[in-house]
Amino acid sequence: MAFTSQRLGAASWWRSLGALAQTALVLLVVSGVSFLFLKLSPGDPVAIMLGSDFSRDSYDQLYRQLGLDQPWIQQYAHWLWRFVQGDWGMSYVSKQDIFEQAVLEALPVTLTLAALSLLVALVVGIPLGVVAAVKRNSWADLLASAVAIGGNAFPSFYLGVVLIWLFSVALGWFPSMGYVSPWDEPLTGLWHLALPALTLGAWYVGLIATVTRSSLLEVLEQPYMAAARARGEPGWRVIWVHGMRNVLMPLVTVIGLQLGGMLRGAVMTEVVFTLPGLGMMITSAVQTREYLVVQAGIMITALLFIAVNLIVDRTYALLDPRLRQR
Amino acid sequence: MTVPNHKAALAEVLAAQFGRRDLLKSAAAGLGLMAASAVGMSPAHAQAAKKGGSLTLAWVEAIDTLDPHMTSSAGSIKVINNVFNGLLKVAYDGKKVSFAPDLAEKWDMVDEKTHVFKLRAGVKFHNDDPCDAEAVKWSLERVKSPALKSPHAWKLEQLDGIDIVDPLTVRLRFKKPFAFLPVALTGSTGRAGTIVSKRAVEAAGAGFGRAPVGTGPFKLVSWKENDSIELVRNPAYFEPGLPHLDRVLIRLIREPSAAVAAMMSGQVDGLSVCPFQFIPQLRKNPNIQVFGQVEGNYAFLGMNNKRAPFDDPALRQAVSFAIDRQVIVQQSYFGEAIPAYTCISPPMSDFYDPNIAKSGRGQFFDLAKAKALRAKSKYQGEVNPVYIVTEGFTGSGGLGTRNAQLIAPMLAQIGVKPKIELVDRAIWLQRRNAGDFDLYDEAWVADLDPDETITPEWSTGRPWNYVGYSNPAFDKAVAAASETTNVATRRKLYIEAEDTLMADAPLAVLAHMKVFKILSKKVKGFEYVPADLLNLHTVSLV
Repeated sequence: MAFTSQRLGAASWWRSLGALAQTALVLLVVSGVSFLFLKLSPGDPVAIMLGSDFSRDSYDQLYRQLGLDQPWIQQYAHWLWRFVQGDWGMSYVSKQDIFEQAVLEALPVTLTLAALSLLVALVVGIPLGVVAAVKRNSWADLLASAVAIGGNAFPSFYLGVVLIWLFSVALGWFPSMGYVSPWDEPLTGLWHLALPALTLGAWYVGLIATVTRSSLLEVLEQPYMAAARARGEPGWRVIWVHGMRNVLMPLVTVIGLQLGGMLRGAVMTEVVFTLPGLGMMITSAVQTREYLVVQAGIMITALLFIAVNLIVDRTYALLDPRLRQR
Repeated sequence: MTVPNHKAALAEVLAAQFGRRDLLKSAAAGLGLMAASAVGMSPAHAQAAKKGGSLTLAWVEAIDTLDPHMTSSAGSIKVINNVFNGLLKVAYDGKKVSFAPDLAEKWDMVDEKTHVFKLRAGVKFHNDDPCDAEAVKWSLERVKSPALKSPHAWKLEQLDGIDIVDPLTVRLRFKKPFAFLPVALTGSTGRAGTIVSKRAVEAAGAGFGRAPVGTGPFKLVSWKENDSIELVRNPAYFEPGLPHLDRVLIRLIREPSAAVAAMMSGQVDGLSVCPFQFIPQLRKNPNIQVFGQVEGNYAFLGMNNKRAPFDDPALRQAVSFAIDRQVIVQQSYFGEAIPAYTCISPPMSDFYDPNIAKSGRGQFFDLAKAKALRAKSKYQGEVNPVYIVTEGFTGSGGLGTRNAQLIAPMLAQIGVKPKIELVDRAIWLQRRNAGDFDLYDEAWVADLDPDETITPEWSTGRPWNYVGYSNPAFDKAVAAASETTNVATRRKLYIEAEDTLMADAPLAVLAHMKVFKILSKKVKGFEYVPADLLNLHTVSLV
């Protein structure tokens, strides 16, 4: 990466340090606000834990045991202090260490799903956008737009169910549930993730195709494209090398910005396809009002957001040499 | 209650429960209850059954814990019943539910308050510890202990003491005669009589629910959060030749339509339960068997007796006659239920009246009567009660908001126009428990005796009585009924209690529902029990 090269002076170091401080501040604010919102949300974890039949006494005992009798600011400080030390607490439903459950078990599932979906979206979306731009206003453009808008319009919970009935129930080609890590068993894993990745990726296809199309249309009018053509370079090279290089910037920006949509879609997709990822973890934890688990999920999501934004920032420098000097 | 001859009375109830008339004679002589038929109950399956194989099932309901003493969740109990045993178990001959010895081999009654259980010899927990009198005593005392806060502690409230007579014999002494005992001591619906390993509980502490150790046909291998639970065959299981399967993989699929899709495409061999709307489709599939009968349950509309407007009995009665149960059965339950007239359901065969529809008893649809009652209400003019509803899959079969949507227009005909508030399940529970509602609907499920189906629900001040109903006449009748084992006396008392309850109408009873188990045609030997159980010990694969 560019920022590790010798050109980085003291100023760059300060900038990195600043980014780090900014990250910490954002995380702090996110943690405080989400903690407060969770506390304000109605629903009583103790009542859910105890089921229907319990005495006042056992209720109070458990309430104290969970530390819910303390003021929220004290609960928050207590949680934060332990959180930064890596002690994320114990889930009272699964009796499992939350760090282990969230970071070691759920996060890899969601990251794998997101990565595969992005891959699907890029592989389908970019060519679609390029065709639409190059053959502007032709039937290919119309088709590409239809696919793009369709993918965007279907919510993932609906598309997921449609794909399950088509490819799993009617045709029997793909499994509709269960997670097998593609890092352990590549073929089985990919086979199991095919429908979920398609479902989640479909939403991104539209976005990527639309951005590719409109950016490429703009780029096509630039003098350097005409120059490339005038030099006698083949058409595919003009588009894919000179053209796409300049499309990548807006594309990367949009992908980074839309990470939130991706994570939101992942929640739905994981529930529909029964994948034990972050989305599933947060959904079940919200239902049982497991504040600590929800909080862990929010923190990881926030961290992912910040990480992706940092990566996008750094990628600009890679993509556009002009930005490296600044 | 005075019962002149304890033994004859018990013999009568047990004979009724076991469906064996000749028991009366032998019991009158010495009252020895042999459980000869309990071992290897299913010769038909045992002979032809194929050994081995792996079964994959989808569980739609949440599984909170596998500690039998700590759960009330139907999803958990179905797993637990394959990992643990009770002193007694629920048996079913296709017509009648009964209670058969399970870990006990012989069950004697010295008098109405003293029960002696002779245990099977040589039964071992999955960790090789013996399941003996010591273990039984420890387990029952665990349920009772205030420190545990078991939701089933009330079932053993009347248990005064447990004596170890010899290593395989325990004597339970009760404060009063206890009619509910057979249900309380089963390992399934009663939960209180489920026997757990002391060493495993002490080693795991609060984590026992994730590392359960019982005596059952299967043992737990792993539980992957939000993914799956794996069970393997217990080779030391005490019923000879059982279980047949080597492995059971339970996939935790929370989305019912996804589970049904997995079933239709053959990715799973069965579903632990199934919402009503998918049943017609599954019945048509030639590769699928659908098990389901009307079980021990009732769905109802609860009315908050403690505040206006339903503090007025006339208004509550009007509501109870304004609801067309046929419409509810057809549209909410897709025809897979029967209209309810009272709370007592068909599997409670000693107490359920199959001709109740013609008896004139209970609640039913009669709009003229409803309007007449409405005219007597102290709240004239339109009332707008708050009706809390939640989405989500519960014991009542994933009804979502269907009941509320059907009931609201029915009530509008008598000038009651509910404000439906759709809330998250956690909030719904909180509001229900706090009595923060005017109307709510739910169902009490998997009950086998009137003592668990109406007593804790509608007695004064009991925790499940969310509507705050109170009538000393009702309390007295159900209390008396729980303290006698004479079936005829109990039946009389329950009719009295129910007539009081239905007339006071703290609830409008709606329907008794079927509860489904879906299995692939390649699964053989499943013994259906109408208590929402999915027992796998007799199951084999083609």
